[in-house]
Amino acid sequence: MITCKSASFLVSKKEEGKIGLIENYQLKIHLSICRLCRLFEKQGWLLKNNAPHTHTHIQETLSEEAKDKMKQVLENAL
Amino acid sequence: MEQSKQLDASKWIDLYADQLFSYAFSRVQDRGIAEDLVQESFLSAWKSRDTYKGEASEKNWLYQICKNKIIDYYRSKKRSAIVEQDNSEKKYFDDSEHWATTTGPRDWQLNYQLPIEQKEFYSILESCKKKLKELQQEVFVLKYMEELDASRICQILGISNANYWVLIHRAKLQLRACLEKNWINI
Repeated sequence: MITCKSASFLVSKKEEGKIGLIENYQLKIHLSICRLCRLFEKQGWLLKNNAPHTHTHIQETLSEEAKDKMKQVLENAL
Repeated sequence: MEQSKQLDASKWIDLYADQLFSYAFSRVQDRGIAEDLVQESFLSAWKSRDTYKGEASEKNWLYQICKNKIIDYYRSKKRSAIVEQDNSEKKYFDDSEHWATTTGPRDWQLNYQLPIEQKEFYSILESCKKKLKELQQEVFVLKYMEELDASRICQILGISNANYWVLIHRAKLQLRACLEKNWINI
């Protein structure tokens, strides 16, 4: 039986589709009896699914000066 | 004759500058650098406007250009390629390599599959991310935020595959623990 430390590492490998057959089997067995590793797996999904959308929830703005400067640069490039 | 799209540079900036800036800032964590990347993106887009065929929306096209600028930034960034042997995973596991009682995962009591809408989550994720070591942070951004694959990330950052796994795993362990402590508050 693999340890939680190994299992947590395999969870990451599996997430990326890089897990081998035997490792996958070992992980499956471990997850079937280890609630904490199952939680780790789910929390990893949560991170993976939501991290890309940070910028749609935290809106930053540029100053008007910065935008004017950008417009100027583009105009000069014409 | 097909009518070509009118690309108005000044209109681009009014419409998209803030959004692109939010995007770039979330990936590079530095306002000055993010601003430069956005500027370069607009300039690049303007110079190659003849190649814009309208297949993607204008916005998505600009985002793609910005994404490439972000990747270039990471590629050319000077860094130490040495992955520190810090064994930070140790603090999460006890001597028998089970989850340590104090830092092991707790149930967050939510539906893990549903998208998270609370702004607070993202602010906390950002501050947790800042606590990561530089290379861990970069791997996290490229993998989890830009969703690039491992081999491309290794090529961009100049790290080995083995290093990549260690880095992403440590980043994940740390972020998970940080989120649990600060967002879930348990």
